[in-house]
Amino acid sequence: MHKQAILREKRTVIIFAILAVLLVVSVLLYIYSRTYAKALRLNIVMDKSAFSSIMGRTIPALIGMGAAAVLIAVVSLAFQTITGSRILTPSMIGFDSVFVGTQTVLVFLFSSMSKAFTNPYLNYLIVAGTMVTVSMMMYGSILRSNKNNLVFLLMFGLILSGIVRSGSTYLQVIMDVNDFNQVRAATSVTVNNMNTKIIFIALPLMVAVISIMLARHKIYDVMSLGPDNAKSLGIPYEKEMKFSLFLISVGMSVATALIGSLAFLGLLAVNIARELLKTYKHVYLFIGSAGLAALALIAGQAVVELLQGAVPVTVIIDLIGCSYMFYLILKENRV
Amino acid sequence: MIEVKNLNQSYTKHGKKKTLENINLTVKEKAITALIGPNGAGKSTLLGVTANLIKPLSGMVMINGIDVRNIKTDELAKKLAILKQTHNINIRITVKDLVEFGRFPHCGGRLTDIDKQKVKESLEYMNLVGMEERYLDELSGGQRQRAFIAMILAQDTPYIFLDEPLNNLDIKSSVEMMKIIKSLVTELDKTIVVVLHDINFASAYADYIVAMKNGRIAGEGSMEEMITKEVLDEVFDHDFNIVTHQGRNVCLYFDRTFNRRKIYEVI
Repeated sequence: MHKQAILREKRTVIIFAILAVLLVVSVLLYIYSRTYAKALRLNIVMDKSAFSSIMGRTIPALIGMGAAAVLIAVVSLAFQTITGSRILTPSMIGFDSVFVGTQTVLVFLFSSMSKAFTNPYLNYLIVAGTMVTVSMMMYGSILRSNKNNLVFLLMFGLILSGIVRSGSTYLQVIMDVNDFNQVRAATSVTVNNMNTKIIFIALPLMVAVISIMLARHKIYDVMSLGPDNAKSLGIPYEKEMKFSLFLISVGMSVATALIGSLAFLGLLAVNIARELLKTYKHVYLFIGSAGLAALALIAGQAVVELLQGAVPVTVIIDLIGCSYMFYLILKENRV
Repeated sequence: MIEVKNLNQSYTKHGKKKTLENINLTVKEKAITALIGPNGAGKSTLLGVTANLIKPLSGMVMINGIDVRNIKTDELAKKLAILKQTHNINIRITVKDLVEFGRFPHCGGRLTDIDKQKVKESLEYMNLVGMEERYLDELSGGQRQRAFIAMILAQDTPYIFLDEPLNNLDIKSSVEMMKIIKSLVTELDKTIVVVLHDINFASAYADYIVAMKNGRIAGEGSMEEMITKEVLDEVFDHDFNIVTHQGRNVCLYFDRTFNRRKIYEVI
């Protein structure tokens, strides 16, 4: 093997090692922030039973955050590959607003007492089904007929989320006050306020989407050569694109229903992974961006806990992530 | 053998304005077929439809007697490789990695020793040894084009379609590229269909020439039959002068009469 290739491989291993260490540190910091730091602040002694009772709540939160972060990163990377762009992520073009819109319409039509809203599994299935159908129909047809027309896709996404958002605001204004509160509660899930009711359907789905996408990393490598080259190399491009869009919609619906919208996380994690790893190989990019996303979310959440929830985690992610993005862009332009 | 039968294609929905109209063509085996014609004649579209990149409105393409739509995409990729004119790849990739992609239809991305051998051979054939670890964006246009041809070569298909391989190449690189394409036929027994804008390259290197105009085949035949004033004037709507040099017909197509406006003053 050539010298440069070996050097590149070495570099990748080092980056992954650093990432792993940072991840472990941030997990420990998160646990510390929820246990000893809190005890210190409230002047109470942290005994074994209190610790284990807190851990009983902390570990599911960690698993939920980790899985959601990994899912968002993986899905965003796949989306960037099939659209052939580095700036688009599913949440930027209206995936989240469809979630809010569907919940609102559900409550408006059937009231907040109906099974479709109160049963978490049924509710999730309806919402996910709508998100998958809408996105498959719209993005599928756009991506098929307007290959690589990013500006059109972006504009379409903005208009779609605009319509859906103002439509749902209108419905929320004219609906019953009680219903309104229920909708608000259901659509304002955040990292602190996870919708743990659906965890048993969400986790297997997340694991399934993540592993299917990881297993197909070679196909995504070929697809990143563009539709014509990929087809010439034997990839049934349209079929693959549809299947990927399906997985992306399922993934986004799970992530949004579980921990709400994390608009910038996918974009940042994927782009930072690209810059750090300097490769097109999806096996490295998937792992790198997944690790970065989990790191950003968990470390950010730990800082939030240490600051006693003064700022939401999205603010921290956006602040640190965006400054790093600025740095990368400026550095790239100077060279 | 590749046969195109009654092919129609349109970019508008109901096929009112046709980009391809009633195309019937049999590709000559183990030879270079050049597709020539003015812009918008449907050359690239014909290439794309034949390689099953674009679905035809009606008609069919047969490869060895089987309709391409009935061949699985990965099976087709072992028979036919196509390189489109705009390979705007937005990933940073080394020459070697690109060429290794050519083996994807055979190994699904897990390279065996045979695959590695094929990659090595194509790199050597395309004179890219020593550049394997260079990134594509560090190469000159000619070198980059050679890297793409090496990928196609590693794909090891009997049929190769090239859509304007001379695009953006200087004269030296263009001649080199055409020589390479010629040697693919004479040394490796490939069947090549190539879209060419410069008729003189078609005249000098192609074994068979197909001229297209307005989505139809305006004529096909050998160099002697096709590179004539009558045929070319009709196909390109232009006044040609044909001279013979080293047994090949050469077109002189410049026009020195500035009767409408003095072009050089405008520029």
